Amino acid sequence: MEENDKQQRLETFEAEALGFAGQLFRVALRVCRDRGKAEDLVQETYLQAWRSWRRFELGTNLRAWLYRILFNVHYSGLRRERLELVPFEETIAETIAYDPPTPQHLTEEEVLMALERVPRDFQVPVVLADVEELSYREIADALQIPIGTVMSRLHRGRKLLRMELADYAREAGYQIVN
Amino acid sequence: MDCRNFKDLLDSYLCEELTVETNHAVLRHAEHCGGCRSEMAARRQLREALRRACSKEAMSVEACERLRARLRAEARSGVLAGGSASGVASLWRRFVDRFLSLRFGVPATAFAALLILAGGAFGLYLMGRGGESGNPQVDPTPRAVELSALLMDEAAEDHRKCAVKFVNNAVLATLPDSIKTLDPAYVDLDKALAEGTKGLSLHSAHVCGFGARRFAHLVYTRDSQLISLLMTERDARAMKPGALPPNAAPADDGSLSGLQQTSRDNFALGAYQTAKRVVLVVSNLPEAENKGLAERLAAPVAEHLRRAERQVSWERLNPRDLMASLIRF
Repeated sequence: MEENDKQQRLETFEAEALGFAGQLFRVALRVCRDRGKAEDLVQETYLQAWRSWRRFELGTNLRAWLYRILFNVHYSGLRRERLELVPFEETIAETIAYDPPTPQHLTEEEVLMALERVPRDFQVPVVLADVEELSYREIADALQIPIGTVMSRLHRGRKLLRMELADYAREAGYQIVN
Repeated sequence: MDCRNFKDLLDSYLCEELTVETNHAVLRHAEHCGGCRSEMAARRQLREALRRACSKEAMSVEACERLRARLRAEARSGVLAGGSASGVASLWRRFVDRFLSLRFGVPATAFAALLILAGGAFGLYLMGRGGESGNPQVDPTPRAVELSALLMDEAAEDHRKCAVKFVNNAVLATLPDSIKTLDPAYVDLDKALAEGTKGLSLHSAHVCGFGARRFAHLVYTRDSQLISLLMTERDARAMKPGALPPNAAPADDGSLSGLQQTSRDNFALGAYQTAKRVVLVVSNLPEAENKGLAERLAAPVAEHLRRAERQVSWERLNPRDLMASLIRF
């Protein structure tokens, strides 16, 4: 009896949650910068999610819940690194007063390389907002930082990304109209 | 609303995070301002490109299957929870899980602190032992494993894209201390190499990423030649597929081994490895000169890593690892 019940719960869990594995992996990849580590992170996230599945209320936002677990797992793995901006990166971001116009006609590869150059603390919120389309509130929950911080990181992250892209565009010889 | 305001709000507008009123204000401004309209189109395109680019990365089929298998195994073992025979094991596992997730209050924290102290003492003991010279159990030279073409590609690309970009950059010529959060061995790398790089001028010392890889990157020039010294993690992706796994290397005392040479486009690459890191010299120099430079730098790099490793072993002690290792006893 109990076995059947468990089996059914697992099936529900798989049906509801496993569909997000791809999205979680993409974010994990940005966070870990390594495929193997990203796969481990996703796996650990699902194991934790399964262990807490009883506590999840069906009908509430499952994806945001999974992201929260993912960052929880990630942070507990590197407790010390949590939300510690590398100070010089912070300085770089602060000093950008100039907001470059957004270049066009860049390849996906160039966009990805530019994204990689954005410091992780800014890169991750940008990916969560612009690729995964989480709301600012959901990002704040997932990263466990105040929503104001989310907004300022997004602002700087997107600006840094545009600056990197403008660099590529210049190198590639595209004209940037200001 | 002026253009500056508009640009500040534009991304939030595209994310549908603005109030109805602000939305209207944004749209009203765009109606009257051609420049801002095209900026809006450009950012929308950028979002699309970003989404497409990131969506290309998919989890491998094998990883998905491993995930399913793990879940099923977890569910099966969980079925017995509460049963008398396996109850203890399951309770113990839950206890350990709770511990590792570090989500608990004061008494456990105190216990953790105790563990750290004990672990610290143990670590000191180990470090003391490691410091003894001629320890017969430790083979001091890590085996040189053939490095992957992927790593060589990444290094050459990083040299091409990044060194060129930074060569005119006179702002940051030394690595800031803060990079130790990335890899403590990056600290003072530039200073350690000052002697070996006489005759070259240092233009930039920074940390950069290429794809999923991070490099500590020193950019040098000599006359019109551009030289990159790159240091990165010796992970599985840095190894040629089928070569020994990275943890097969026995010692981690910064010993270098096996200078490997190759070339990409017009760049010469020389690479050597320690147990944890790969160091690459990439340049437009003729191959023999590049090799000479790489060889000249081998000794100071080795010395630097040896010193860094020794300091790091202390700083790296982290409660989770410690508990994990203690629990394994």
